[in-house]
Amino acid sequence: GRGWPTTPQPVATMPVSPVNSRKQQNLWLSVGPQPKKSISFTNTVKGGQTKGYLGANQSRMAMSKTLMVLPEIKTEKMNIPTVRTPIQVINALGVDVTPRPLYQQDPHMGTAKPNKLFTSQEGSYGSEYISSYSLYQNTINPSMLGQFTRSVLGSSTVSKSSVSTTDSIAEDLEEPSYRREKLTSFTDLRVMRATPEKIVTKEDLQKTIEIILTETETLRFFNLPTVMVSVESEEAAKVIRRNRTYETLCRNRLGNDLYVERMMQTINGAPKNKEVQCDKIVKEDKGIMSSTWDLYDSYNAMELSSLPTKQSMLESNTKASIVSKDHEPRVPGSTIEKNSEASSLMDIENVILTKIHDDEEDRSESIMKSDKFRQDLFFMERVLMENLFQPKLAAYRQLPVLKEPEPEEPEDFLEGEKLEQETEEEVKKEEEEEIEISTEQSTIPANLERLWSFSCDLTKGLNVSSLAWNKTNPDLLAVGYGHFGFKEQKRGLACCWSIKNPMWPERIYQSPYGVTAVDFSIGAPNLLAVGYHNGNIAIYNVQSNSNVPVLDSSESPQKHLGPVWQLQWIEQDRGTTGDDKREILVSISADGRISKWVIRKGLDCHDLMRLRRTTTSNSKRGGEKEKKGEALISRQAPGMCFAFHPKDTNIYLAGTEEGHIHKCSCSYNEQYLDTYRGHKGPVYKIAWNPFCHDVFLSCSADWGVIIWQQESTTPFLSFYPTTYVVYDVAWSPKSSYIFAAANESRVEIWDLHVSTLDPLIVNVANPGIKFTTVLFAKQTDCLLVGDSDGQVAVYELRNMPTTLDSGRGDIINTLLGPKPNR
Amino acid sequence: MLGLGLPQRPPLVEETLKRIQSHKGVIGTMVVNAEGIPIRTTLDNSTTVQYAGLLHQLTMKARSTVRDIDPQNDLTFLRIRSKKHEIMVAPDKEYLLIVIQNPCE
Repeated sequence: GRGWPTTPQPVATMPVSPVNSRKQQNLWLSVGPQPKKSISFTNTVKGGQTKGYLGANQSRMAMSKTLMVLPEIKTEKMNIPTVRTPIQVINALGVDVTPRPLYQQDPHMGTAKPNKLFTSQEGSYGSEYISSYSLYQNTINPSMLGQFTRSVLGSSTVSKSSVSTTDSIAEDLEEPSYRREKLTSFTDLRVMRATPEKIVTKEDLQKTIEIILTETETLRFFNLPTVMVSVESEEAAKVIRRNRTYETLCRNRLGNDLYVERMMQTINGAPKNKEVQCDKIVKEDKGIMSSTWDLYDSYNAMELSSLPTKQSMLESNTKASIVSKDHEPRVPGSTIEKNSEASSLMDIENVILTKIHDDEEDRSESIMKSDKFRQDLFFMERVLMENLFQPKLAAYRQLPVLKEPEPEEPEDFLEGEKLEQETEEEVKKEEEEEIEISTEQSTIPANLERLWSFSCDLTKGLNVSSLAWNKTNPDLLAVGYGHFGFKEQKRGLACCWSIKNPMWPERIYQSPYGVTAVDFSIGAPNLLAVGYHNGNIAIYNVQSNSNVPVLDSSESPQKHLGPVWQLQWIEQDRGTTGDDKREILVSISADGRISKWVIRKGLDCHDLMRLRRTTTSNSKRGGEKEKKGEALISRQAPGMCFAFHPKDTNIYLAGTEEGHIHKCSCSYNEQYLDTYRGHKGPVYKIAWNPFCHDVFLSCSADWGVIIWQQESTTPFLSFYPTTYVVYDVAWSPKSSYIFAAANESRVEIWDLHVSTLDPLIVNVANPGIKFTTVLFAKQTDCLLVGDSDGQVAVYELRNMPTTLDSGRGDIINTLLGPKPNR
Repeated sequence: MLGLGLPQRPPLVEETLKRIQSHKGVIGTMVVNAEGIPIRTTLDNSTTVQYAGLLHQLTMKARSTVRDIDPQNDLTFLRIRSKKHEIMVAPDKEYLLIVIQNPCE
C-alpha cells in the first residue's frame, strides 16, 4: 500500500497550463513505481525546450505550450528567495540515506548559476537530466516538476537529490522556493509513506494488525520472443515464406531506389566524472606460516564448533610463531580437542580453557590442578623410573640389556652380563652333547639375581602377607601387608604396584586392620579383593582413584569372624543350573568356614564348607564323631588355605590349622571327600601342580614341605630343609619340577629333576628379615619374594636348567623311577 | 570402617611432583607456563628461563614435525639424551613440564 497506482501507465497527456497541474499529479505519480530513478526521465514530460540539444528528450507529452509561459515563470521564480526545507531520503529499509551535499550553495548567488550550469553541462552525462530538469523547473507546471522530482528520485518520499548534482542544481536554479512551495504542498499530499513519528509502544506491538495480501496483476518485465520456430509447427510455413521474402528483399536492396543510405547523428550521452572522497582504507599485512597440521586443525575446528574455537586456534597458532608475545585473553568456553592416534591419554580436554583471565597466578594454579598436568607428571615419573631401572626392567622382561656408554658402569652389572654370556655359550655347548643339562656342568650355578624391590616409606616395617598378579595386566601386582600373629597386629595396607614404577605404588588402600589376603578378579580385572585380619573382605575398584571399597563385607551377617587367610576368585561352571561361567570369590578363614561370595547387589555369602575338627589318633575320615573323653573347645577347625583343582573347579583342597588337608567338593558342604594327613602343624599353603594335575604341594609350620599325590593320603615326598616355618610355596609356571619355598630365613628353589634332597638355589635372607611370600612371574623367569620388612624383592632366576618338554605330566613316574606301589 | 582415623593424604599432584623432585639423579624439575614464566622450579630463575625458552622452541619444532607428517598425530613427550644428562619434556598448550636427570648417578 504505497499509494502509488501499480499499473505503469504511459505518461498521459500533459496538461498545458499550470492550473491543471495539480489534477495531473496522480498521473504523474503513476510513473513512480518504476524503481529506477533514471527511468522516469524518459517517461516524464519533456517538453520543447529552448536549447536544441534537448531534442532527443522529447517525450510523448506535449509540453510545448508550456514554453511560452516560461519566461514569466522564470522571473517569478527568480525572485523568490530560497527556502530550504530539509528533505530526507529514506530507502526501503527505513535507513536514512540522505546524501549530504558536496556543494553548499549560497542562496543569493542563485541567479547566475543556471546559465553556467546549462553551459557547463554540455557533453556530460547529466546534461540531459539537468537540462530537462531545469526545463521542468522552468515550466509553468510545478506539478510536473514535483512529480518529476518524486518520480525521478524514486520512492515515495521526496528526495532532494539522489544524485548530488540535482541538489546543487536544484539550488542553483532559481525556482527553489517556488518549487519547494509546490514541493512542500506536494509533500503533504504525496508522501504516502512517511517515517512514523509516533513511537511504537508495547501495546502497539501487541496489537493485531491486519495485513491483507492481494495478488497484483501480472507484471511483465521482459519478453523475448523466440527467433526459432520448429519446422513442424503451424507457423513454419509462414515463417519460411517470410524468410524467403526477406531474402529477396535483401537481394533487391542493392541499387534499389527504395532503400537509401542516410546518416543520422545520434546524441551520445555525455559522461561525467564524479569524484568521491572517503576515509583512507587502512591496510594491514598479516602473515602466517601455514603448515599441513595448521590447515588440518583449522578445518577440524570449523567442523567441530563455531567461530570462537577457530579464533582461539588461530590465536594459538599465531602465538606459536611469536614466542615472546604478550598474553592474549582466551576465548571463553572453547575447548580444543585434538585428534590423536597416539595411544597415550595425554590429549584430554583441557579444563583450563574455560577461564578468561589475565591473572597469571590464577592460571598457573589451574595448570597445576589440571588433569593433564597430573597425567604428565605420572608419565614423567614413569620415565624417570625407566631411566633408573632400565637394566633391571630389561632383565625382567628378558630384553637385551642396554649398555651404558659411560665408563662408570656398575661393576656387578658388568659381571652379570659377562656371566650370562659365558653361561649361554656353555649351555649351548652342552645342549649339543645331551639334552639333559645338570647344574654341575655349567661353571656358574643357578642363582637368584636380585633386580629390584618394591618398597617405599609407607610399607616400611610392615609384613608382606600376600601377593597377587593382575589377570590381564601382567605388570600390575597387588601386595597385601599385614602381620600374621595376633599380637603383632598393626595397621594394614593393600597396594597395587606397577612394574613400571618400583618406587611408589599406584594405588594405596589403607586400613586399620592387617591385610592377610589379596586377589585380582578374572572376569573383572579391575576388582581387587582384600581380606583382613578381622574377617572383613573388601572389594576395590583399582581403576578409580578412590580409597573407598566398592563392596564390603563388614555389614554382612555372615562375615568371617576370624582372619581371612586366603581369597581366590574362581570361575565356576554352573552347568547344572544352566548359567554360564560365573565368578565367585572364595575365602577361607580362621573361623573354620570356607565361604563363597557372590556379587549381586551386595556381597552374598554362602558357606561352601565348615571345617570340622577331625581327630588324628584314629584315622577316621570326615570324622564327626568325637573320641570320648576329649573335650574340644570348638568343633571348628580354623582353615588356613585352600586350592581349587585347576581342571575341575568343583574339587578343592583345604588346609587347616590342625595340619590336615581335606579334599572337598562344592557339592557337599558337610563331608570331606578325603583327608590327607602328614603335617604336624598348620598348613599354610597348598598348590596344585600346573602341569600334572594329580600332584600338589603343601607347606606347613612344622618346617616341612610335602608333595602329595591325589590318590594317596600319605605324603609322597617331604622336605625338611630347615628348622624354620615355611610360609609359602609355589610351583613354577614353566616347569613341573621346580617350585619355590619361602621360610623364615631363606628362599629355596627346588628342582625335583635335579635333586630331591637339596634345593637348587638358596637365597638367604638378611638377618632380621623373614621371607613370607613367594610368587612366580608368569612370562618371565622371575620370582617375587615378600618379606617382613615391607619389601617385595624381584629376583631373576638365572642359569636355570632348561625345562624338559617331555615328562611334564609324568613327574611322579620320573621321580619314582620304577613304579612303586604306594 | 576402612580408612577412618587415618591421616589425609596430600593432593596427588603435589605428592607426585615432590617425589619426582626427590628422585635419584634428578637435577632439576620445572613447570613453566606458555609464556616462559616458571610456575614451579627447583633451579634458579635464570637457568629456568633459559631452559624454558630453548625447550619451548624445540618443542614447537618437534610438534610441527610430527604433525606435518600426519596431522592427526601429536607430540606427547620429548626426551633429549646428552652426554651428561637427559632432559625430559612433557609439552602442552598451557605449560611445559621439564625434568633434567642424570641417569647414571
